Amino acid sequence: MTRASAIDSPEASPMDKWEVQLRKGCLELAILGCLWPGKLYGLEILRRLESDSDLVLSAGTVYPLLSRLKAEGLLDSEWVEAEAGHPRKYYRLTPAGRRRAQQMARMWSRFSANLEELLSPLLKEGGR
Amino acid sequence: MATDAAARIESYLARVRVALRGLPEREIEDILRELRSHTEDLGGGDERRVDEALKSLGDPVELAKTYRAENQMVQAECGGSPLVILMGLRHATRSRLGRIIATTLYCFGYINLFLLWLAALAKLLSPSRAGLWYVPGDWWSISLVSFDNPPPGERELLGWWLVPIAVALGWAIKVVTDRAAQRWIGRYRRSKGSQEA
Repeated sequence: MTRASAIDSPEASPMDKWEVQLRKGCLELAILGCLWPGKLYGLEILRRLESDSDLVLSAGTVYPLLSRLKAEGLLDSEWVEAEAGHPRKYYRLTPAGRRRAQQMARMWSRFSANLEELLSPLLKEGGR
Repeated sequence: MATDAAARIESYLARVRVALRGLPEREIEDILRELRSHTEDLGGGDERRVDEALKSLGDPVELAKTYRAENQMVQAECGGSPLVILMGLRHATRSRLGRIIATTLYCFGYINLFLLWLAALAKLLSPSRAGLWYVPGDWWSISLVSFDNPPPGERELLGWWLVPIAVALGWAIKVVTDRAAQRWIGRYRRSKGSQEA
């Protein structure tokens, strides 16, 4: 069972459910962040999310989301013939997508810095 | 072995295609092509790996439903016909009751628009039967279109001004109804994040 499906299962603890909500909340930002350096296709995005941000997601989660971000004008896509023998659909950020990614990243950074300040005494005490 | 794997992929995609019915054909083809590319990348012709890849995509009907919901909500939020907005609104509610309330309110706005524009048209076609009448001293008696000749004693307030006022008011109701529905859809989508996702 993957981590994602384990978290989504009815037996998941309240902490697991809280964690999955937290992760879902920042999924859009994570995808836009993945595509910041350049174009990627769906499977690469899934792998990048898993390796760089510990977001283990099902493909059935990510593909409709990519489709929605494209419909919103934040992503653009193109089909590229690959050596694998079949074409792959590459996504890249549009100018609107780059602006949105920067706005979201700034907001996230400010929010997490404030929260960290609030939580630092708690974490210090917990670490003792 | 590779043939079986390909058959499994095609069978899965055929079910997705059926459930995506209603979306533009080009969009359906694009979605299926991407899903095929994904499963071929992961499966590499091996039956077991293809099964795992299909499993990670989930139930084909549910997957198609997610695509449709996302698509219709984005289209509705970005504009589109009243029907598109109504379809988007149906996806932007968490419960059946919420869906009924939201669609009823939206339809109520359009019924008012229809009645106002009907009154404007009636004024043009049969001026004596359309107007804004009331019995002096009794504001509850106000009426817009009379199917009979207006009863004696009632006073008409607007005259030919009824036409531009009814058209403008109807248009304003349409704009407010559409905007409210689009804001509702937008807020729902943002609050939900990528839940079906």
